[in-house]
Amino acid sequence: MLGAIRPDSWNLPLFVHALGAMILFGATATVAIAGFAARTRREHAELLARVELKTFLFAIIPSWIAMRVGAGWIEGKEFPNGDEPGWLSVGFAVSEGGALLLIALGILAWVSIRRHGIGRAAGAVPVLAGIYVIALGIAWWAMSATPG
Amino acid sequence: MSKYDWLLFLHITGAFLLLGGGVVAGALNLAALRRDRPSEILMLFGLIRIAVASIIVGTVLAFVFGLWLVNEVGYGYGDGWIVAAIVLLIVGNAIGGFAGRRDARSAKIAEGLVAQGDEPSPELRARLRDPITLACNYGSGLMLVALLAIMIWKPGA
Repeated sequence: MLGAIRPDSWNLPLFVHALGAMILFGATATVAIAGFAARTRREHAELLARVELKTFLFAIIPSWIAMRVGAGWIEGKEFPNGDEPGWLSVGFAVSEGGALLLIALGILAWVSIRRHGIGRAAGAVPVLAGIYVIALGIAWWAMSATPG
Repeated sequence: MSKYDWLLFLHITGAFLLLGGGVVAGALNLAALRRDRPSEILMLFGLIRIAVASIIVGTVLAFVFGLWLVNEVGYGYGDGWIVAAIVLLIVGNAIGGFAGRRDARSAKIAEGLVAQGDEPSPELRARLRDPITLACNYGSGLMLVALLAIMIWKPGA
């Protein structure tokens, strides 16, 4: 029932965190969709690779920052003594561990463009994006259901 | 997990699918706006269908489990913020759907142009940049952001 009774001062950080996470989910899904589509639409592979890199630069990076800043901000208000529950660590594992995965995703998306949207890098981009979409799903389950 | 936890998880899943689908549609739409070849525009519009499916599923989940949560938590269905949220959800989907139908007509034109040699067309370009369609597309997105703000601040609750 925390969502129904939280203090007003938690609202802005929660909004920043939730909006960032939702845009991050959509942007990562865009990269996955474009990448998998390129496998069967070879004539558009280069265009789709550009869509992937632009989405990474202009949507994934800013939304990850908003999600992470909002998470740290609300964590400081909700657990000022550092006594975080276990479900919170799931969220941080996805955001911190996910950052490494996203850096790899961005590098591969850049390499993919250099190779006109074909090759191993182009094939790996949607796989990494798909993994991160699933990880985000696990994180929002942990954040909303707060197991334990 | 309690019943409340499950309801909240499913409601938030709906919100993620709805807003995330909007982001996918927006990103692919922006990419289509920058292209001239009808085949490329047609391909990008084709991918937007995946986003539309996500938006529809997300709307249903957010709406159904949102109303269930109202009952579970003990809010009133006539509370101002709940009425505002429902109105935003319906209006946002309606104008998004209106823009989507206009884009679907543009996709039909693109399909015809592909069959005629795939040459760029001023008519198709004008349709893609039609200010009414763009205003409806981005307006529906802003309504979803406003809806998220109402869900979090719950003004008047």
